[in-house]
Amino acid sequence: MFICGYHFPASEGNDVAFDKVIAKVEEGVEATGKVVSLTGETTKGEVIVNLTVPEGTFAHTAFVDYFESADVAGESKMVYYTNKYQISEISKAVDGEVTKELCQNLDDMLLYRVSVA
Amino acid sequence: MSELRQIAFYGKGGIGKSTTSQNTLAAMVHYYGQKILIVGCDPKADSTRLILHEKAQNTIMQLASEAGTVEDLELEDVCKPGAAEFHPDNNEITEGYIMCTESGGPEPGVGCAGRGVITAINFLEEEGAYDDELDFVSYDVLGDVVCGGFAMPIREGKAQEIYIVMSGEMMAMYAANNISKGILKYANTGGVRLAGLVCNARMTDKEYDLAKQLAKSLGTQMIHFVPRSNHVQRAELRRMTVVEYSPNHDQAMEYKELARKIIANDLKVIPTPLEMDDLEDLLMEFGLEDDVEDAIVGKKEGEA
Repeated sequence: MFICGYHFPASEGNDVAFDKVIAKVEEGVEATGKVVSLTGETTKGEVIVNLTVPEGTFAHTAFVDYFESADVAGESKMVYYTNKYQISEISKAVDGEVTKELCQNLDDMLLYRVSVA
Repeated sequence: MSELRQIAFYGKGGIGKSTTSQNTLAAMVHYYGQKILIVGCDPKADSTRLILHEKAQNTIMQLASEAGTVEDLELEDVCKPGAAEFHPDNNEITEGYIMCTESGGPEPGVGCAGRGVITAINFLEEEGAYDDELDFVSYDVLGDVVCGGFAMPIREGKAQEIYIVMSGEMMAMYAANNISKGILKYANTGGVRLAGLVCNARMTDKEYDLAKQLAKSLGTQMIHFVPRSNHVQRAELRRMTVVEYSPNHDQAMEYKELARKIIANDLKVIPTPLEMDDLEDLLMEFGLEDDVEDAIVGKKEGEA
């Protein structure tokens, strides 16, 4: 199955442990010191949310990884809805209160774009 | 040459199955160079219109009726190359291509619509439409397998991997569960497997959670959440897929990602359908209402 864009072989079933996903996401990505910014926009392209992802969290690493690896054009990359929901789901479980507000936003219906500086 | 994969998109009528399948298949061709045959198995014959840039393709049943019998037809009569970049001779964007055919069916209220599916698939096989060059054959199938005719691609072992297009709405989930029951019925005899749910989102609250939990309960994955976008309709007005109309648009990227996953997908399972009570419990747990007590069933807003 596919989580955060990564393929987990069928032998791992349809309920892959978050630990395995986190290990895969952290593999080969250096997120330290990077500023991750998100914008949330309506279907008409109107930006109504600006967020900064707290460093040191899974969400921070996952968005840096997404920005660096997703085959999406642009300096600010649109985030696949599937990925934003999956990042939120794992972040809620492992990052706790630090990303609670961020995850509440990610769970909405807005289209998010990520930029990393 | 890789082995031919026979996939099928099933789902409740009106869920956006044909739109989802055509956009996804277009992405598999446009971005990944796949060679595909579409077999539309819906009497509406709208499974190929966005690829052909046509209102509706002449169906095998319609052409057979005009010619006398299906034996009077040639493959070229019923199998058309996709328009523009999807044409086999057009290699400007991709070496991939799409060939299109529609089974069709009888007039509304007359005969068995599933019979067209059976006749069409047998004809295509006999005439060599499933050639060695193809990477995928894709069936686009109506409804929720209540009719045995529409279960034919599953029953006869034609479609090996099934993608169910659904949303977070009750009837779409009910249909997804029903289709899983159909797959389960023929899984051991025909080898068919459930390969994933595609959530063609209605953008309701908690829709991702609901779709994911249904997938988990069925033993499969929610392979991709496709958001709603007006760009799909803009492209459809031009009888095009978003992928062709606007290949760099966000929505085209969503289909691209779904295409990538389908090509790489190896999670194909015998599903574990839910009982009706369990399905309702799922809706209660992840639906809009936190909890519904028996006392408020049938009560109008403001009464309870």
